[in-house]
Amino acid sequence: MTAHSGQPGHPGQAGQPGRPGAGPVVYDPVTLPADDNVNNYTFCVELKGNEWFLQKGKMIAYYGAIEFNGIGHGRLDRLVRTSFHSPLHASDWVVASGSGKMLLADRAFDVNSYDLDDGNLTIRSGNLLAFQPSLALKQSIVPGFLTLIGTGRFVAASNGPVVFMEPPIRVDPQALVGWADCPSPCHHYDHGYLTGVLGGLRALTGLGGVSGEEHQFEFVGTGTVLLQSTETLMPEQHTGAVPPEPGVPGSGAPGAAGPAAGLPRLPGQLGDLQRRFGL
Amino acid sequence: MFRLQGSKVLAVEMAGDAVKAKNGSMVAYDGQMAFKKLSGGGEGLRGMVTRRLTGEQMTVMEVRGHGTCWFADRASEINLVTLQGDKLYVEASNLLATDAGLRTGTTFTGLRGASQGNGLFTTTVEGHGQAAITSDGPAVVLRVTPQYPLSVDPGAYVAHQGSLRQSFQSGVTFRTFLGEGGGEAFQIRFEGDGLVYVQPSERNTIAGDV
Repeated sequence: MTAHSGQPGHPGQAGQPGRPGAGPVVYDPVTLPADDNVNNYTFCVELKGNEWFLQKGKMIAYYGAIEFNGIGHGRLDRLVRTSFHSPLHASDWVVASGSGKMLLADRAFDVNSYDLDDGNLTIRSGNLLAFQPSLALKQSIVPGFLTLIGTGRFVAASNGPVVFMEPPIRVDPQALVGWADCPSPCHHYDHGYLTGVLGGLRALTGLGGVSGEEHQFEFVGTGTVLLQSTETLMPEQHTGAVPPEPGVPGSGAPGAAGPAAGLPRLPGQLGDLQRRFGL
Repeated sequence: MFRLQGSKVLAVEMAGDAVKAKNGSMVAYDGQMAFKKLSGGGEGLRGMVTRRLTGEQMTVMEVRGHGTCWFADRASEINLVTLQGDKLYVEASNLLATDAGLRTGTTFTGLRGASQGNGLFTTTVEGHGQAAITSDGPAVVLRVTPQYPLSVDPGAYVAHQGSLRQSFQSGVTFRTFLGEGGGEAFQIRFEGDGLVYVQPSERNTIAGDV
């Protein structure tokens, strides 16, 4: 996976701070970059008869003749079949087609584009902004995440610039944006908060001090992990429900996941209390 | 003389002259400054009445003195606009400061204002000088020429200048009512010659969910 930083390749960024005398850069269809960032917060897509998938309401302006269609639309059925495999949240996505240049942005969050070369990337659903139809979008079996597979470019937003890390690594759950080409993460808890009656009481009540970093996601293998530089999550985008079958995580079906019958679990509790006391 | 200090603070150097700025937007000054509230946007009795009638309220102060005065508004990004006899159209809430020599007024916007949820009227700034407008995230300045008209999401529109015609363009079809809309149901189309300021963020508009 290759990433394109928010800085555009050419000098003279619009709204560049601290440069007295220089007026703002004025863009027209010729000077706007093609499939690249205009500034850290705005991305420009060039359409020449091709199509892009984008999340509803993220287009801020466009030149040329561009049409936006909901993807339930009959003419786009073939496209949906080849590159859109999450029919259950199809109403959140639109297809832009036509020719011209289109600007995308998301609530003034940082925007970056990435290239996948016959790869795969799993990303938090609220962060994905747009992608080329040469990529296939699928729901991840990790609830709240989406997976892109194939070759092509996609645009993702993050709260603050994105940092790239290589496994093995443990990351804070709120800072995780996504991961590429490596196995899905697992939970990791600090040992001291898991063992003994005192550890259980401490996790339960917070007495004795919690650092707030007792729980991480652990990545192993080879690949790339994408982190945002803040722990403020972007609002989540609903990925759609999964079929209520046994064995499907997040489906709520009997036999899927969830605690065995017994005492109800209290919020903030890491393990069942009766197990902790050896009952 | 307007200059940006960082991207969120406006510094104005003054030598006995004056600027009009949003009430309460001064964050610091050195030298000698006098602040005076201007009723009705400093447009006299007529301005007071029209602003009251149109609901395009603008509380403005006049800052006069010698030295440097710094302005900021809720950590929003500031964009400088230079006017050479042309007219800037901007929402009163996005206008941070103008040279005292610039005339401000109100104008009817029609459907565009309604689609943004900003009301039917907007503020104009006219003359020779500089103005500072605020936006959520740094604004992108897009040029409109007769061969390149531009369509803008009403929620991302901040301001425009020059001689532009705007029309309201709707993508609402029967599919919108079936819940399969394109998500971009309304756009403002700009034609003519001028500049449009667009912010990388969308206000909540009626069209946002369609």
